[in-house]
Amino acid sequence: MLHPPEFVRPQRSHGAAAVDLATASGAARVERLAQSGCARAFLVAGAVPEVVFGNTAGGLTGGDALRYALALGPFAEAVATTQTAERAYRAAAGEARVTVSLSAGDGARIAWLPQETILFDGAALSRRTRVAISGAGRALLTETVVLGRAAMGETVRRLAFADRREVRLDGRLVWAEALRLGPDALARGAQPALLGSARAVATVALVGRGAEDAVGPVRQAIGEEGVEAAASGWDGRCVLRIVGQDALPVRRQVRRVLTALGAALPRVWQA
Amino acid sequence: MSDGGAALLTLARWLSPAFPVGGFAYSHGLEWTMAAGEVGDAATLRSWVSDVLAHGAGRCDAILLAHALRPDADLATLSDLARALAASAERARETEEQGAAFARAAGALTGLDIAPMPYPVAFGAAARGLGLPPETVVAHYLQAFAANLVAAAVRFVPLGQTEGQRVLAGLAPGILRLAREAAAASLEEIGTAAFRADLAAMHHETMSPRIFRT
Repeated sequence: MLHPPEFVRPQRSHGAAAVDLATASGAARVERLAQSGCARAFLVAGAVPEVVFGNTAGGLTGGDALRYALALGPFAEAVATTQTAERAYRAAAGEARVTVSLSAGDGARIAWLPQETILFDGAALSRRTRVAISGAGRALLTETVVLGRAAMGETVRRLAFADRREVRLDGRLVWAEALRLGPDALARGAQPALLGSARAVATVALVGRGAEDAVGPVRQAIGEEGVEAAASGWDGRCVLRIVGQDALPVRRQVRRVLTALGAALPRVWQA
Repeated sequence: MSDGGAALLTLARWLSPAFPVGGFAYSHGLEWTMAAGEVGDAATLRSWVSDVLAHGAGRCDAILLAHALRPDADLATLSDLARALAASAERARETEEQGAAFARAAGALTGLDIAPMPYPVAFGAAARGLGLPPETVVAHYLQAFAANLVAAAVRFVPLGQTEGQRVLAGLAPGILRLAREAAAASLEEIGTAAFRADLAAMHHETMSPRIFRT
């Protein structure tokens, strides 16, 4: 299979961006902002402050390491997102490692709503997203993963993708999702237990005390054309999963559900 | 270390459909998949079960069980991980209810004090005393899981008992391969690609009428 040369970026890039945010009399205040290497972070002020993380290397490939972190003070609220979709390109050697760490003080509400991750043929990406909430705090997460770009007629066959999300409440693990997509599963083709005909998958999860009650409104918001979606709510969790042949309807369904959950959609998300 | 022959018989009893775990009540979302017409014969059943084993809950539970079998296993942490990884309300119920029922029955029979824990963790906590190789315990556990799904299908779709057993026999090489891999895998290697099997488990919650609890 031929790869256009611009997709191959041999030098490795590393970066870390960390933001500490406090809310003082209703307004968000950055207490600390540390950036190094290819990682960036900035704050967009608003009713709900938005922390935008970015990777100036313009994608990920084998050997890259990227870390984003956000710490939120007690009873604060913030949305964290990414400036663009993250692209994981063919890795010549090694894997790209991405670590996202979000922590929220007592009663704080934190949302991690990154733009989609696009996996190119031959990508090797290991990502870990850790969220810590406490007390009556809540975490809202979404992640959308797209296999190649349909418009380019790409088929993804070789892949090493491990993507784990974990939410801890008062230090105890309460929700985890571990995706593991490799050549074995892809070689199985359009199997109904695996991807079926889907090329884009997404999860939306709300975690925290009473989160299961959100399953009603979430189910009401299902029904976007071109996707298959279902939700479940239990014991402090409400989880929605979506699969679709194309990224666009999956993205629409994610927005619709986040809106139904009363979430502030990141302003950097393109319409 | 128990005598190997006696240990194998104990393992077979614990995983037999007659052991009061109630596995027959759970379909792991397969009931919805069959009602949707996606599994309706031996070939589609074999594919579905094989994928759930290799890329879904089979793989996750196999690794959790292998870790629970270790003498130094941290059962509370493994239980938290198993609960956190449950893909939906019914998946959580499936593993909690079977685990609690297994712990009660195995505890009564062995005198061991086994707390109600997710099924693979409770099973590992009881089975570690058998002294059997981990891959043996994991392979039998996976076969019992697969047999339960096949039994659910035999009740639901036009598929004879013998055809069902042929499907199960065909899954054996994959089960052995997965058991070997799981016995050596770290918890970091847990992961699923069974997106639509997880969706099926969620669709099942709002399905009516239904025979199975999951």
